[in-house]
Amino acid sequence: MIDRIASFGRSGVDIVISFGRSGRFLAGVLSGVPRPATGFPLLMKQLYSVGVLSLAIVVVSGLFIGMVLGLQGYTILSDFGSEAAIGQMIALTLVRELGPVVTALLFAGRAGSALTAEIGLMKATEQLSSMEMMGVDPLRRVIAPRLWAGFIAMPILAIIFSMVGIWGGMLVGVEWLGVFEGSYWGNMQASVDFWDDVVNGVIKSVVFGFVCAWIAVYQGYDCVPTSAGISSATTKTVVYSSLAVLGLDFVLTAVMFGNF
Amino acid sequence: MMSLRSYISLKDVVFSRSGRRIFDGVSIEIPRGKITAIMGPSGTGKTTLLRLIGGQLKPDSGSIVVDGHSVPELRRKELYTLREKMGMLFQSGALFTDLSVFENVAFPMRVHTKLPEDMIHDIVLMKLEAVGLRGARKLMPSELSGGMTRRVALARSIALDPELIMYDEPFTGQDPIAMGVLVKLIRDLNSSMGLTSVLVSHDVQESLSICHYACIIADGKVIGAGTPAELQDHPSEQVQQFLQGHPDGPVPFHYPSSEASEDFGLSGGAS
Repeated sequence: MIDRIASFGRSGVDIVISFGRSGRFLAGVLSGVPRPATGFPLLMKQLYSVGVLSLAIVVVSGLFIGMVLGLQGYTILSDFGSEAAIGQMIALTLVRELGPVVTALLFAGRAGSALTAEIGLMKATEQLSSMEMMGVDPLRRVIAPRLWAGFIAMPILAIIFSMVGIWGGMLVGVEWLGVFEGSYWGNMQASVDFWDDVVNGVIKSVVFGFVCAWIAVYQGYDCVPTSAGISSATTKTVVYSSLAVLGLDFVLTAVMFGNF
Repeated sequence: MMSLRSYISLKDVVFSRSGRRIFDGVSIEIPRGKITAIMGPSGTGKTTLLRLIGGQLKPDSGSIVVDGHSVPELRRKELYTLREKMGMLFQSGALFTDLSVFENVAFPMRVHTKLPEDMIHDIVLMKLEAVGLRGARKLMPSELSGGMTRRVALARSIALDPELIMYDEPFTGQDPIAMGVLVKLIRDLNSSMGLTSVLVSHDVQESLSICHYACIIADGKVIGAGTPAELQDHPSEQVQQFLQGHPDGPVPFHYPSSEASEDFGLSGGAS
């Protein structure tokens, strides 16, 4: 019994230590002003690999999720004779919730895991150590551009996801099931508020982008530099990012839309 | 007091990791402009010693002074400035896998200098020429053999003309030709550039053939130090076991265990 309590306590202490280490790590990454001449090309390269290369999965997922929303929405709303409100339903669902959340989950699975594996491998092959010994700080040279790229790319990807989803919903609702096109766009325009819905959705994706990128780079930098260690860190990135996104989504939704 | 001729001075260094004491009062003087070999059995912390000198690790106690700077007491920025005077050849080479051979060697110059591109180009080719790989400048690290990787890494580590270069197990896993090339390069670089070289290795013959001084570490302490000739005549049995490669001696062949008869179930009451 005592052993179990001790083990539980140790786990708690380990978690607190881990949070402390990741906080110090973040402070190290964000401290210091990057030089534009060297920092900007590195950031652009990472924006390409983290953002542009995630476009395909985001666009395809957004299209199908929008189409499914159109189909399900039509089935449910037509029971009440309200199928004209399908555009409003799809837009609000995507802009407020599914856009930021699903994009973040996709980001964690595609870009986050890749970031962790890349940094972990750089650690295992002593590339980070060699950089340190050359007088180059890997936190600023390797980690910072990746963190900022995730932070910048996520809201843009979430906006693209929502736009493609709304278009996919229109394909099913208007083109296939015959909802009047004017109702689809008109109801959407009347009910979606720029500040309350669009901006709040973007704020969510900014928060998710920061958290997902932070978890990914920290797990890579802190991993045990072996194949098993890198594999474990990659898994942790996806699991922790997904849980963090879903938990934070509840908190942010309560704050933004809870009307407390 | 640090000797004027010493470039690096370690005094009573104690270092532990994961509850295990790696160094227990190690003191070593590394003379300026000479090749010093640090030798010892696998797992004695030779690479850890290089990381302590480079400031990647901090000792529990004791002093580490490099070119007059107390490394553990340096602030982050000062440490990075000091490292610009150091080069390190890692065991794996540690080349950046997304950069070509040329870009790997150019990397330190691009980061630390504002030299024009044509001058960087010429210097990189000179460094690659020195290690015999000028013709391989367009290759990627994945296209290089193990020996070539280390030669490129060597070219990169001397790109900024450092005062100190540290070699971490440079001969491990090399075929005889690659090993001969590396031995020649280390010797030539030291004599032509006047570098202070620290060579960590357990390859006794190769290390003793090029070093001016050597010290042997075992059980967290320095068990022997001196010129290669002095070490060959060292009275310590442990030193002689290491140098001659005897399988048994002060360093036992068997890992500590209980009596064999107990493990085989032969003790007490067998009939």
